[in-house]
Amino acid sequence: MREEGLVDLTEATLVRRARAGELEAMRELYERHASRVYTVVRRLAGDDDLAADLAQDAWASAFQKIREFRGEAAFGTWVHRIAVNTALTQLRQAARRRNLEQSFNGSSTLGNPDRLPASGAAERVTIQRALDLLPDGYRSVLWLHDVEGYTHEEIGARLGIAVGTSKSQLAKARARLRALVAESRAEVVDHGAS
Amino acid sequence: MVHLNEETLSELLEGASVTGVEEHLASCPVCRGELDALRRLRSELRELPELDAPPELWSRIEARLPVGGRARRTRRGWPSMIAIQAAAMAAVFVIGLGLGRMFAPGDQAGPGSQLVSERAAATSLADAMAEVRRLGAQYDAALRNLEQLAAQEGAPTPSLAEQRLASLDALVEASRTALSVEPADLVLNSYLFAALEERAAVLRQIRAEQESGSEVLWR
Repeated sequence: MREEGLVDLTEATLVRRARAGELEAMRELYERHASRVYTVVRRLAGDDDLAADLAQDAWASAFQKIREFRGEAAFGTWVHRIAVNTALTQLRQAARRRNLEQSFNGSSTLGNPDRLPASGAAERVTIQRALDLLPDGYRSVLWLHDVEGYTHEEIGARLGIAVGTSKSQLAKARARLRALVAESRAEVVDHGAS
Repeated sequence: MVHLNEETLSELLEGASVTGVEEHLASCPVCRGELDALRRLRSELRELPELDAPPELWSRIEARLPVGGRARRTRRGWPSMIAIQAAAMAAVFVIGLGLGRMFAPGDQAGPGSQLVSERAAATSLADAMAEVRRLGAQYDAALRNLEQLAAQEGAPTPSLAEQRLASLDALVEASRTALSVEPADLVLNSYLFAALEERAAVLRQIRAEQESGSEVLWR
């Protein structure tokens, strides 16, 4: 249960108390930033269960090394960065297991429009779902660049790919997302007409 | 007419200037439409709403925090000054007694830096492990006593000492958790002894403050 008495405390106070091992302070910090952290890992993961695992790992990691937090950035920024790094590390490891080349070349069937529900299905594909359908490599580059504001150099360093590859993946990701969304909208129109 | 490829459109979306493209865009409604669509899509991506974390997520995180048990204990309330003094003296006694036995007389550097590895060299690792377990049991007994007294008495709010004790307790619990997996790890044993020794020092400080009537540690 969230402690009401902590709601008015400043973040610096909460961090200090969390460093001293106070669980309630950690809970309050979590409550303040849970959505932001979960959102970024969910967008990068493209899957609810994986996102929950990643968020759990990110928060556990943040609290385990909270003594390293010096307050130079806001706590939210710090934990957000940990979340991105946690997600990218684990997605890269998963990609390696599944064959990284296939994922980053975009030849994975995950992002193939053919994998979308048949036009007769009632399921609508929103941008969110289209994003989930992109291959992990495409989705990571697209989200990091277009939403999080990372440069291609930063993306390259985090994903272990060349700057040129990051640019090329971004172009393909945008095109693929555009195709997925266009197709889903066409389906909606089609359903509306029938 | 050959339309612009996805890489060129992506570069244009970035605001880059691509040689010879302006003329094509001016005369090609298809490519202009594609570029506009990509621009809209990027805006829509940025406007996607924040998501709520799953409700059970905190309990999963909490289960992985080594301080969970200790933090819960702090909710139960804290003892009065007299009760704390009595419990602190008891804890100092048992921990001090244990530490006194652990470290050989004439130890120049003091117990904080001369931990189980040296003790292990003096006797055996099995003896050192037995001593760790015995000290741990005494520590638990002292803590239970403290909590019992806390439940019986009022609950003034502790401040600095509370944080230090909470921190040390967390370290003790973390060391114990780790030791349950790797009981013979000398470094982990060293951490546990260091935490116990430091905790004893804090309790001694509390007692000294209480005896001198200081109100620095306890509000």
